[in-house]
Amino acid sequence: MKAYDAIVVGGGHAGVEAAHALAAMGHNTLMISLTLEAIAFLACNPNIGGTGKGHLVKEVDALGGLMGILADKATIQARMLNLGNGPAVHSLRAQVDKALYHRLAKQALESTPNLTVLEGEVTEILCEGGEITGVKTALGETYLAKAVVLCTGVYLDSRIVIGEYSRDSGPSGFQASFRLSESLEKLGIPLMRFKTGTPPRLLASSIDYSKMAPQYGDKGIPTFSFMSDNFNRNDFLCYLTYTNKTTHDIILSNLHRAPIFNGFIEGVGPRYCPSIEAKVVRFKDKDRHQVFIEPEGTDTHEVYAQGLSTSLPYDIQDKMVASVAGLEDAKIMRYGYAIEYDCVDPTALYPTLAIKTVKGLFSAGQANGSSGYEEAAAQGIMAGINAALYLQGREGFVLRRDQAYIGVLIDDLVTKGVDEPYRMMTSRAEYRLQLRQDNADIRLTETGRSLGLVKEDRYKRYLEHKKEIERIEGLLSVSFSPASVKDLFEAKGETPPKSGISAKDFLKRTRLTADDLMAASPDFAGCDLRALKYVETELKYEGYLDKQRREIREEARLEELVIPDGFDYDKVEGLLSEAREKLKKIRPLTVGQASRIYGVTPADITVLIICLKKKSK
Amino acid sequence: MDTIVAESTAPVSVSAIGIVRISGENALEIASRIFSTAELENFINAEPRRMYLGTVTASNLKDKAFCMYCKAPKSYTGEDIVEFHCHGGRVIIRSIIRACIELGARPALPGEFTKRAFINGKLTLDAAEGIADLISARSEAEALQAYRLMSGEIAKKIYENADRLNMALANLEAGLDYPEEILEDTKAAALDIINKVLEELKQVYDSSKKGSLVREGVTVAIAGLPNAGKSSLLNALLKDDRAIVTDIPGTTRDTLYETLEWEGVRINLVDTAGIRESDDPIEKIGVTRAKTAIEGADLVVILKDGSAPETEEERNLEKLYRGKKVIIAQSKSDREKHPRNADIKISSKTGHNIEGLIKLILDKTGAAELSGSAILTRERHIFAVKEAIDALSSAKENFDIAPPDCTAVDIRHACRALAAITGTDVSEDVYDKIFSEFCVGK
Repeated sequence: MKAYDAIVVGGGHAGVEAAHALAAMGHNTLMISLTLEAIAFLACNPNIGGTGKGHLVKEVDALGGLMGILADKATIQARMLNLGNGPAVHSLRAQVDKALYHRLAKQALESTPNLTVLEGEVTEILCEGGEITGVKTALGETYLAKAVVLCTGVYLDSRIVIGEYSRDSGPSGFQASFRLSESLEKLGIPLMRFKTGTPPRLLASSIDYSKMAPQYGDKGIPTFSFMSDNFNRNDFLCYLTYTNKTTHDIILSNLHRAPIFNGFIEGVGPRYCPSIEAKVVRFKDKDRHQVFIEPEGTDTHEVYAQGLSTSLPYDIQDKMVASVAGLEDAKIMRYGYAIEYDCVDPTALYPTLAIKTVKGLFSAGQANGSSGYEEAAAQGIMAGINAALYLQGREGFVLRRDQAYIGVLIDDLVTKGVDEPYRMMTSRAEYRLQLRQDNADIRLTETGRSLGLVKEDRYKRYLEHKKEIERIEGLLSVSFSPASVKDLFEAKGETPPKSGISAKDFLKRTRLTADDLMAASPDFAGCDLRALKYVETELKYEGYLDKQRREIREEARLEELVIPDGFDYDKVEGLLSEAREKLKKIRPLTVGQASRIYGVTPADITVLIICLKKKSK
Repeated sequence: MDTIVAESTAPVSVSAIGIVRISGENALEIASRIFSTAELENFINAEPRRMYLGTVTASNLKDKAFCMYCKAPKSYTGEDIVEFHCHGGRVIIRSIIRACIELGARPALPGEFTKRAFINGKLTLDAAEGIADLISARSEAEALQAYRLMSGEIAKKIYENADRLNMALANLEAGLDYPEEILEDTKAAALDIINKVLEELKQVYDSSKKGSLVREGVTVAIAGLPNAGKSSLLNALLKDDRAIVTDIPGTTRDTLYETLEWEGVRINLVDTAGIRESDDPIEKIGVTRAKTAIEGADLVVILKDGSAPETEEERNLEKLYRGKKVIIAQSKSDREKHPRNADIKISSKTGHNIEGLIKLILDKTGAAELSGSAILTRERHIFAVKEAIDALSSAKENFDIAPPDCTAVDIRHACRALAAITGTDVSEDVYDKIFSEFCVGK
């Protein structure tokens, strides 16, 4: 029997971050993965980031996580989405080399002190008197630990479906885990059955790209990680083509063979990630759908056909692909498939990602009913941090909704629950304007530092960044004479000032940017552009930001009211019965969390506050 | 904390005085905009914990009132508080609350003053216990009633516009979360909706402005010397024999409440015992209650018996009601012998001019405009609509220069305001709309 402080079950994007965080916080950690080839495997699309997701990567990075650094090093094309909209929704997305990403992640874990990586199948979670004692593997070996983090992804009792064919398997032919679900159920952990899917992969050399529109990377955009200076490379292309009426006819005439429509698949699929057959059925009046052809890596000709996610039979997939412009002779290398899997009902978790009923057991990632690499990584680092804090006997770490997308993600999962795999969207963050990519470091680096995750080099760089921001803020009173800026203002469509204008008011103008300021004034010419852009954003959106800050202040008071462990809701007189039942199920940590439970009214909250105050006296 | 306002006396049809309480950082500022007193140039300089007598001006109403300011933290809630002690009539109380809302206060939720008192450590344990029950009882009742309290037409309008507005938000959000896949001009679509909704909500709000009276109705006291025909008038008004009518002076010994509906407007009628000094203990009680009822009424109808000569006592009656809205009605027009200078002449016996009197009452109280119209009656609903209008106006004003993620802040605010009425979960509804209206997702 071998003993560790903590064990992480699974080596996907959640497992990688959880294991790294635990080890970095000083705990002797064992990560067990079904196969080491599947460490940080990008099972679906070959990209990282995107709307809301890019924000999550930035936040994981600011806390001291791995995903941002790995993504930058594996990037082959980077784009900043939403540049035409406000800075809050600017979203970085990078095409990455899948094989490289996996290798980099594996190497990072191998070189992390305190971390042991082991290939194996965990078949049982060991527990004594409601507390975790360790895990048992298929080989019969027992590993002892006081904390266990479940990062089982889509591997629990999973089944792959292609048309009439199905096989009990994990993604891409990786083996699934067939005994762990049962062990979790024995522990009384509620499980759900979800479904997701993936499109066919094609051979690049069999594609006629001349019929498609090429898409290039964006130059001069910032990286994911605060610690990176460049992307690995940014010269690969993606291509855009479309389905057509023929494609849709092929699909519609074969719906009886579509597993999601003929009852062969029962799991709930995500609305935001519909298969092509679902799109064609639901949007009958659309005469075409986008298909993006994306490279899977630099040392392979395999490409990913984003937009054609499907579980139709192989022969229909052949016909369907061939009907798309440019794919007439395309060779399918892997058929698209749907995958069904077990996951934990996230309302069984506290916002610390600790499972309420088993002390020392945590859960993160797709195993919690989310979807996406970035959502998994975000939960992984938080579960790792909280497992470490648990081992240290310290209070749990929860990010609020106004502090990070990570906070929104986890609060949504554990407070509201899910009925389909959860995807991060910027619109889920009510304080979106505060939660930008450009201020992720300002929001979270200090926190990461105090947790022990942010190391010296990052912290030093962060302090320099902050100093530069302060220096720039000190320069904002620099004034320009009307004559000196007249031409610039007119050229940009801004009314020229009648008297002198300060740098501050300069930046507040809608059509003038940080770059303009650097060009217009020698005082600003030498500024760090990232710092100056941060200052610009804060100034430009001051009014909206202030509006949100006021709301946050009001909410914050409820967040500070902690509900003690084991609080008895049956003893609270005056709660409506629906609210009482919900509160007993969710067991919120704070009154703020309680107020977000659907079915709990403001009056219930008042009653609750009174009761809590009474107790504290 | 934001500033909240509510009536802190029990909202019954008739009471002698009513108290409106404002709590929060803008309490004094709001009060100083509607209250003036000869003692101060501006009420903003009011000395804490002192009663000032002055005039409160709310919409087109003016009323004499006492006003007191309590400075934080020495107040019930621990925040700045201003209290108006005014006449107990529904119209004036509602008008004051409405005026506060116009100036930025929010109607308090059930138990919210207490909640704040508690958070700020101002309430003892005992006091809190009973209040918790009260809050839950009220909220349960409110939850049941909230829907019924809106007329069908207005409810439909609010729901329609809330739904449209969620659609506007879905348009913007879909564009922001799926920048590569949404190729339609979702911004233009959102602006169209904003304009339409803004116009409709403004109509709803303007019509509601005229009357917060529908739900509570107007309260009318019928006053006069003994035997002036008060009970007969009440009977005639109600076409009912419920009031005791007799020629023996002093037989109506209690105030009587009756409610009359006139083209959808509720009129609470109060018959008063003959106001005169008496040694009879029962009659004395009646007299006291009559005075109370009159104090709290929105309007007083003073009856003068045209069949009998004018007396000193009758002339003094008018002085008693100085400062109130008054209709002088000469009764017994069928037996007129000593005509008075009256607003209207009526006969309860023949029914002459009874309808005319009702119309006059509605005109004088401002309730006439309300009859038959579909309007919002609950302060909470009115506030919600106002909040939505303000947020949408801001969205519209900045639409061209603000990026859509900023515009979305305002629209979401408006959606949430209306959701306070409809009870819809905005986020869920918006996602449903994004995924049902737009084909997004890989």
